[in-house]
Amino acid sequence: MKHLICIALLCLSTTMFAQSKYLTKTGTVGFEASVPSFEEVKATNSAVTAVINTDNGEFAALVLVKGFRFKNALMEEHFNENYAESDTYPKASFKGKIKDFELSKLTNQSQNFKISGALTFHGKTNQFNDLDVKISKDNEIINISGNFKTLASNFDIKIPKIVRNKIAEDVLVTFNFKLIKK
Amino acid sequence: MKRVLLVFFLIPFFSLSQEDLLAEIDNDSTGIQYESATFKGLKIVNFESTKLVANNEFTLVVSHRFGSLKNGVDTFFGLDDAVTRINFIFGITDGLNISVSRSSFMKIYEGSLKYRLFKQEKNGFPFTIVGYNSMLINTALPKTNYPLIEFKHRVGYTSQILIARKLNTSLSVELAPTVFHDNFVVLDEQDNTQYALGIGGRYKLSKRWSLNADYGWHFNRADNSPFKNPLSIGVDLETGGHVFQMHFTNAQGMNTNTFLGQTSGDWGDGDIYFGFNLSRRF
Repeated sequence: MKHLICIALLCLSTTMFAQSKYLTKTGTVGFEASVPSFEEVKATNSAVTAVINTDNGEFAALVLVKGFRFKNALMEEHFNENYAESDTYPKASFKGKIKDFELSKLTNQSQNFKISGALTFHGKTNQFNDLDVKISKDNEIINISGNFKTLASNFDIKIPKIVRNKIAEDVLVTFNFKLIKK
Repeated sequence: MKRVLLVFFLIPFFSLSQEDLLAEIDNDSTGIQYESATFKGLKIVNFESTKLVANNEFTLVVSHRFGSLKNGVDTFFGLDDAVTRINFIFGITDGLNISVSRSSFMKIYEGSLKYRLFKQEKNGFPFTIVGYNSMLINTALPKTNYPLIEFKHRVGYTSQILIARKLNTSLSVELAPTVFHDNFVVLDEQDNTQYALGIGGRYKLSKRWSLNADYGWHFNRADNSPFKNPLSIGVDLETGGHVFQMHFTNAQGMNTNTFLGQTSGDWGDGDIYFGFNLSRRF
């Protein structure tokens, strides 16, 4: 009897481990720091890894900084060399939790949730609280998307005087993840 | 009691599912990482760098070399005798560029191909290797001075292998073994086919400034040749879409054949030229 309980618990725990995560390796994160009437300063990374634990709403995402693609190769080179310093800080990450997350509540209509967590980029970590995210579920795919604004200076990114009028200090970050059951 | 013990044994399984999500996706494999920004300009100073124009992008490089500084105020430190080269470069792919240029030094038209063979990898292949081939047509040499000249005499060729390595985030170096051939050389004793080794580097002074230098070591210059090896020192300034390169050099020609084969300035005499390369991407 004892053994039975033991095995049952064991199975339960392993199945929980296997079934509670949804994952993607092709999530999209973009940012834009354009100034009207100047050249677009915008980049997208479509190889973002993200995972959600549907038991408790914990969420994490990982970005390789060199994977951001700009319209203009020279801008991309400047970004990696002088702004993001991606040789020194190759990864950016987010780790947080979605408030009141419940898998069973999700439908194919997107609903608003709040997410809080820590974003690390360029060696600096900033806490974000109650950012709006839209979440929907279509069959076995959880769709998470949203956007938020932050300042380049919060992540210790200095915009030199010479280009200050061409690059916005507040940066709009957008994200979109289609997470598939692991 | 035993039952309690069993539950304890199960704790690791439960906690496993609660483990740090980030650590789970943060494996250290970042794929093959290529070095970038070995050089920011298409040229170090006179020599081609290993940088190429990106796919489907268009770059215009306007280069000036003023006249010699040694004549002082008489030519306003060379302003009066400036030469200009206008160079259009188009990226057919990220690894293949085609370019055309016209230089007022010997009225040279040039067409060239630049192609990348290898890229430096982090913890992998140690060099970026780029090939450069060009064909030049010297349209100066007037018939009145050279009555027997034919079109074939005006043609020259350059073949170069550019081997660069980014040693760290601030220092990049390049070697450029070069063979060039001029169908007509001014000096009879000079071989038409000439060999040289280019040596160049870029050292970052700050995020937007770098110190650049290159030197051309000629191996078979005729003994009585008045020409010198070209040495150039300058700075790069990056301003977003532009890269400005300002420098002092003893070469006034800007094509590989002219700065290696016909450099007449001399650093020892102060016979040097101020110049700049201005590149703009479209």
